[in-house]
Amino acid sequence: MTDAAGALEAQSHQKQQALVIRDVYKSFGGIHAVNGATFSVRDGSITALIGPNGAGKTTLFNLVTGFYKPDAGAITYDERSIFRKAPYTIARRGMVRTFQITKALSAMPVMDNMLLATSKHPGEHLPTLFARPLASRAREKDAVERANELLDTFNLRAKADDYAGTLSGGQRKLLELARALMTEPRMVLLDEPMAGINPTLGRRLLEHMERLRTEEGVTFLFVEHDMDVVMNHSDEVVVMALGKVIAQGSPEHVRGDQKVIDAYLGMDEAQAEELAKAQELRGDE
Amino acid sequence: MEAGQLTGAPRTGLGSVRHWANENPAWVALGIMVLVAILLIAGEGLQEWGQRTVNGVVTGSYLALGAIGLTLVYGILKLVNFAHGDMLTFGAYIAFTFDVTLDVPLVLAVAAGVLATAAFGIATELIMWRPMRKKKAGMLQLLLMALGLAFVLRNMIQFIWGARPRQLDSDRTSTVGWFEDLTGLTIGTTELYVVIVAFVVLLGVAAMLRATSAGRQMRALADNFDLAETTGIDTGRIVLLTWILSGALAGLAGIMLVAASGGLSPNTGFFILLPLFAAVVLGGIGNAYGALAGAMVIGLVQEWSTLVFAPEWKVAVSFLVLILVLLVKPDGIFGKERSL
Amino acid sequence: MIESLPIAFSFDFLSAWDFWIGVGILAGIYGIFALGLQLNVGFTGVLNFGQAGFMAVGAYSSIILTVEVGLPFYLSLPLSAGITIIAALIIGMSSLRLRADYFSIATIAFSEIIRDIAQNSRGLTGGNQGTIDIELSNDNGFYTDTWYDASDWIQANLLDPIGLSDSQFSDLPLFLVIWTVLCLSAFALNRLIRSPWGRVLRAIREDEDAARALGKNAFSYKLQSLCIAAVLGAVSGWFLAINLESVSQDSFEPLYTFLGFAALILGGLASFGGVLIGATLLWVLLEGMRFADLPFSDDKDAALRFVLVGLILILLMAFRPQGIAGKKEEMVLGD
Repeated sequence: MTDAAGALEAQSHQKQQALVIRDVYKSFGGIHAVNGATFSVRDGSITALIGPNGAGKTTLFNLVTGFYKPDAGAITYDERSIFRKAPYTIARRGMVRTFQITKALSAMPVMDNMLLATSKHPGEHLPTLFARPLASRAREKDAVERANELLDTFNLRAKADDYAGTLSGGQRKLLELARALMTEPRMVLLDEPMAGINPTLGRRLLEHMERLRTEEGVTFLFVEHDMDVVMNHSDEVVVMALGKVIAQGSPEHVRGDQKVIDAYLGMDEAQAEELAKAQELRGDE
Repeated sequence: MEAGQLTGAPRTGLGSVRHWANENPAWVALGIMVLVAILLIAGEGLQEWGQRTVNGVVTGSYLALGAIGLTLVYGILKLVNFAHGDMLTFGAYIAFTFDVTLDVPLVLAVAAGVLATAAFGIATELIMWRPMRKKKAGMLQLLLMALGLAFVLRNMIQFIWGARPRQLDSDRTSTVGWFEDLTGLTIGTTELYVVIVAFVVLLGVAAMLRATSAGRQMRALADNFDLAETTGIDTGRIVLLTWILSGALAGLAGIMLVAASGGLSPNTGFFILLPLFAAVVLGGIGNAYGALAGAMVIGLVQEWSTLVFAPEWKVAVSFLVLILVLLVKPDGIFGKERSL
Repeated sequence: MIESLPIAFSFDFLSAWDFWIGVGILAGIYGIFALGLQLNVGFTGVLNFGQAGFMAVGAYSSIILTVEVGLPFYLSLPLSAGITIIAALIIGMSSLRLRADYFSIATIAFSEIIRDIAQNSRGLTGGNQGTIDIELSNDNGFYTDTWYDASDWIQANLLDPIGLSDSQFSDLPLFLVIWTVLCLSAFALNRLIRSPWGRVLRAIREDEDAARALGKNAFSYKLQSLCIAAVLGAVSGWFLAINLESVSQDSFEPLYTFLGFAALILGGLASFGGVLIGATLLWVLLEGMRFADLPFSDDKDAALRFVLVGLILILLMAFRPQGIAGKKEEMVLGD
């Protein structure tokens, strides 16, 4: 399926598009990391972004969230352009992300990490910190409550007062996710959320994601290599290779797409095996 | 990638110009220099401009010697060596001691200064930097240690030699006759020696960096330390070599500086540390050719500025250039793309 | 130039109290100076190496406004703070987007430019050494007029009643005022850093991108931190001017920023209380060594003392980077 037809198919679902990417380019020196990518993410969906190593997935994440500035193209979130907007602006509009290399702040306690994510906190701005101390304190109290709830969900409540640096790798990943959710986002971008987490916890994470999607209409876009997760837990799949989007659609659709298979044949054996296994799983269900 | 496929974003008009400027900062810098030169000649006359240019080349020469050592250490070890200026001072004082106090011939005194500073560089590497790298010390830690080292060195010099300014036994009055006849411009005999020595040494260093295996390894380390390590380069040895080079050049630079300008005091080297940083940043950190080009630019800009501003603003001008470069192109004229 | 330290008293009347109060004054001045550094370096990850420049702007602007323009203290000091904030905004807006080491070099450059301006603008800053003797009277009176009044008041109402009226204690009012300001500032900063605002700073210290991804405008916070530090630098400049009774560009060499860092490291990064400890220890060390009565000339004596300071700094950074009161877990700086 071509890029244009893929976009059409997504639109034909007759739902709002949370995120639309059109003809986005980004080069570093001579390397064209993202080379004319076009796709869209349906509002309230769990969408997976897959592709061989070097396909440009993390670069795309950085472009969408404002950490890289695109050379050209258009990026629309919630029907407003976020092309070349600052990361903090985009985050304030309800799009948060996690990072491939976890950015849990190890020099701060876990609770501080969570409280940091509070949005619209009067205490975070000097004028309102002094002018509206009661409002600031009230917001803080609310934030602590909400933080505790989230920490409970991710089994981190006991560690609330410990420095985040003392957490294990997996726990730090969960903290980063919990922190992201603390902002009450409309859209969450996750960069390899399953990597380094044990399966039980991973399942819990997915359950939480699915609940948020169903109950609160939060949109998820995640980069993942675990094909089981991709095929069984995502509503839609976007496939990238060599900086372009080569396929977009439901997991079944993508699984059978020849271009996707070709792209993955270009990757190493282990990954191809994984894909085949996942396709089997899907077929057996 | 298939042939004929669109590579990279399509660019239009002004965007292409900006893109070209971004990819070719060296030509842009050269263009700006030429433009400024033309304006100055038009405003002040060829003679005035010419004299300043001669002075600027002299300044640029010893600045280049200092800047190359600084940029190599900065590029390879990611260490902002705040003590580098004081290493220049150190070399000059050692040379002074041999030359004036011990009455050794000037050439040998210069050699002594160079060797002593190289030895100092080795000492700091073995005693301070290597153990700290093993400890995975952070940038701030190293920076502050370099600051402390600068302090210690400068004050030890003052402690040993006192704060009173000294003079090297160099000839500062005679000028080069044939040059004056040829161009109508004045250059001191010693100044000419400085330029010649500097250029010979710089060419040697450039050749070494390009042609010898040690030089190639240095460049590889400057490009990407961790990656180069995995290719089997003996980083310990190369780092040591870098310090030897950096120290020796610093010592020579200090001596040349004092020979050309006259006074030697404990603060001499520190005074040109910021212009050295300016040259390094201008040329691109880790890039030896860049350091040379940057030093020349700084030297010329400083001297040309005296055509327009009062001489006491000379150094402030180079600070201003530094800030401008940091704002417009922090990667420098020769950028990060190539290390040499 | 390391020929002499900025001390305001002569040795003629040297007695223990007089001397140590003088040391305390210096410790207090540089304590306020270093509080700003601590906010920047220890809590925000902003490598401000230009603090001496802010001190200079504060000192010179307050003097010029009071002596040349003739404003009373209660106007000239706030205006001086405002001017210093403008300087901080100029430096910050142009340089804070640079990575940390470039920023540190840029701030040194700015600080030196300020010093050059002070040195060369004869009309503005007086004399060809950029020295203003602020006791010079002109139609607008002495710079320290208001200060003398306040000092006399303190002397009469707080010190004389408890018997501290000896000439040994003549600098005690200044000491008390400086240390009151210092302690109040440290206390206020401590509260501030524990606030939600301070939490954002601490996040930026470790990882700016993480803070941005959570909707925080990291650039704005760094700028605010720099401005606050600049004001603290200005305040220390005011007290320096009062203490020295004249101001020259020598007092604003990078040496003094470095001494500020030494105080910072000694006391410990990420601890405002530590700044008080560090500044006191540093100046006690520097000045206390005078008593060692070494057989060297003045300039060599001073040099030796600074060698010691440098060595201490190196050793601390190598073996105990958290200093005396710093917390090891908080010693991070996003690279």
